[in-house]
Amino acid sequence: MMKTISGNEAVALAVKLARVGVVGIYPITPQTSIIEKLAEMKANGELEAEIIRVESEHAAMASTFGAAVAGVRAFTATASQGLLYMHEMTWWVAGSRVPVVMVVATRAVGAPWNIWDENTDFMSERDSGWLMAFASNPQEALDLTLQAFRVSEDERAYLPMMVGMDGFILSHMKTNVNIPSQEDVDLFLPPRKQPFVLDSENPVGMGNIFPPIEYMRLRNSIHEAITHSEEVIKEVGREYQKISGINNYSTLNVKYKLNDADYAVVLMGAWAGDAMEAIDELRQKGLSVGLYRIRYIRPWSEDEITSALKDKKAILVIDRATSLGRGGPLYLELKATLHHDQMCGVVSGLGGVLLNKGDFKEIISRFVEKAKQGNAKGVGWYYPKGGKKIELKSPRYAEE
Amino acid sequence: MSLSLRDMLKSNSLLSGTSACPGCPENMAMRMVGMALGNDVALIVIAGCSSVIQGLAPRNSYNFPVLNIAFAAGPPAASGMWRAYKQRNKNTTVVVWAGDGGTADIGFGSMSGAAERNENFIYICIDNEAYMNSGGQRSGSTPFGAYTSTTPEGKKENKKEIMFILMDHNIPYLATASVGYPHDFVNKLRKAKQIFGFKYVQVLTPDPYGWMFDPSKTAEVGKLAVQTCYWPLLEYENGKLTVSPESLHCLEKSTRRPLKDFIQVQGRFKRINEEEYKALENYIDSMWEKIKKLMK
Repeated sequence: MMKTISGNEAVALAVKLARVGVVGIYPITPQTSIIEKLAEMKANGELEAEIIRVESEHAAMASTFGAAVAGVRAFTATASQGLLYMHEMTWWVAGSRVPVVMVVATRAVGAPWNIWDENTDFMSERDSGWLMAFASNPQEALDLTLQAFRVSEDERAYLPMMVGMDGFILSHMKTNVNIPSQEDVDLFLPPRKQPFVLDSENPVGMGNIFPPIEYMRLRNSIHEAITHSEEVIKEVGREYQKISGINNYSTLNVKYKLNDADYAVVLMGAWAGDAMEAIDELRQKGLSVGLYRIRYIRPWSEDEITSALKDKKAILVIDRATSLGRGGPLYLELKATLHHDQMCGVVSGLGGVLLNKGDFKEIISRFVEKAKQGNAKGVGWYYPKGGKKIELKSPRYAEE
Repeated sequence: MSLSLRDMLKSNSLLSGTSACPGCPENMAMRMVGMALGNDVALIVIAGCSSVIQGLAPRNSYNFPVLNIAFAAGPPAASGMWRAYKQRNKNTTVVVWAGDGGTADIGFGSMSGAAERNENFIYICIDNEAYMNSGGQRSGSTPFGAYTSTTPEGKKENKKEIMFILMDHNIPYLATASVGYPHDFVNKLRKAKQIFGFKYVQVLTPDPYGWMFDPSKTAEVGKLAVQTCYWPLLEYENGKLTVSPESLHCLEKSTRRPLKDFIQVQGRFKRINEEEYKALENYIDSMWEKIKKLMK
């Protein structure tokens, strides 16, 4: 069924379709309308899940975790300061190898206060042991959330998974979203499985002190599970395509006009739409440029990324997040993967700074100029010129 | 509710081979939890001595399913757990086992949140009046005048009285207990198990190392705390406060055993001077005046 809904509504629908048992909720902008929608569905009798209206994000993650270890499918959502406040518990959940799903509607982190979009909150969770996907439109937010339940509950993973989406830009933007039927989702998503359930019939302990060598082995097992989840994600993606009209889930990351391009632009999230439009126009002017959209931060698909980008003359990585003192996290990840001589980074869009097609055209043209001189190196910060009108176009999907 | 010692000794909640120190009051209390609640229990242990006492993984000396978790996460995790059991049609009693630091300080907000939502579990506060697991530092629950490793000059503030604060949360059941009086503690836990909602039981657990007394005297010090009226045994149910039989003599100043009988057996009050002793005694008197007012 096609419906015009926001990213947050799409996520709430995914949670309902996944037959989640417990949702721990705490409001934070711009995630709030996810939990409001869930509360509304519960009040209308459309949702069977228990909703726990907790007193903090730390508690939201802890309550979700408690429900998950006691054997039910559990979900929560957050953003920004809330994700940072949860940080202790995100590690606890991952270290316990308990499947849990969370959606992060990304937002800048204070100080100073800023409610607008930026991906630094999400990117700062890279080391916590979660699988991490990032959506580029409301459709993908719904699809990836549904897939997250199946991936995290696969015995080869048994890891929590978070799905990011750009705050406001996707969380509040309404667009046409294809919603799979409950029957299809029930076929796609089997009943929950998990390694240990805390039950009084089988009194096992979880999380008590581990001897050093066993602790290290556990960290290693999480590392291995994240790397091996790549196969699980592709498999689940292929299965998902059977219930969805969209056929781009057989790979982790997404290419757009990339195969025959000399120059590659790499980024993630909602920006992809603007970048694709800019690339279309630049191509008409004869610039051989394509897009590579990172959809999975963890697992980080070395193979996919290397084979997509290794032959490119130069690579531009655009970050909507920072690793202060070092540039952008996406740039650093790619730098560590490719060791390419001609690679440069751009940090922009922080704290809700808007970039439009024109800005992308400018960034990409400048990059190609530098690359032609063999000088595509380092990281720069791009400030768009103010007052530009943003053209609204219908949403489109990345395609080859 | 009558309870024979023979019934009580049937518990197997605590297996042999714990990593507890000699004379550990938490071990005593854990055994009593098993006596009171049986085996259909899921335990959440927040950071503290009890994260260590159960032993190194994969072994575990608690004969319950145990979820070990970070400080402030106990009450919300319990909120998630009992709802998950409800969805799975299980009647397991969920218990949060937290120290006084995790209750009065770092976990206070999340405990208050769970109390306000009237979540259906038993919160047991193991009150040894300091952060004993990290070497005996001051907590919000440390009494006035007590030496701790972060108050070498003696604490200058009174104990944070969580039980009074929680009475204002309108929870269905609240009680205080002491490991010196196992029957009382077990009876109160049994009662708590029958009630739906947030149940709070604060048990005084005198710590031989932090309080500096001989490990053979744990139960005795636990009794002295009650007899000298330093620690009141209370029950709060349906908005009504009652004083347990062991503490009834405290309602009148004239029938109280002198506070110094409790103070003198411990090293942590060694440096208390006459003036400070008087201040502590006045505080205890005022606490009982408050209890009497609340009983009306």
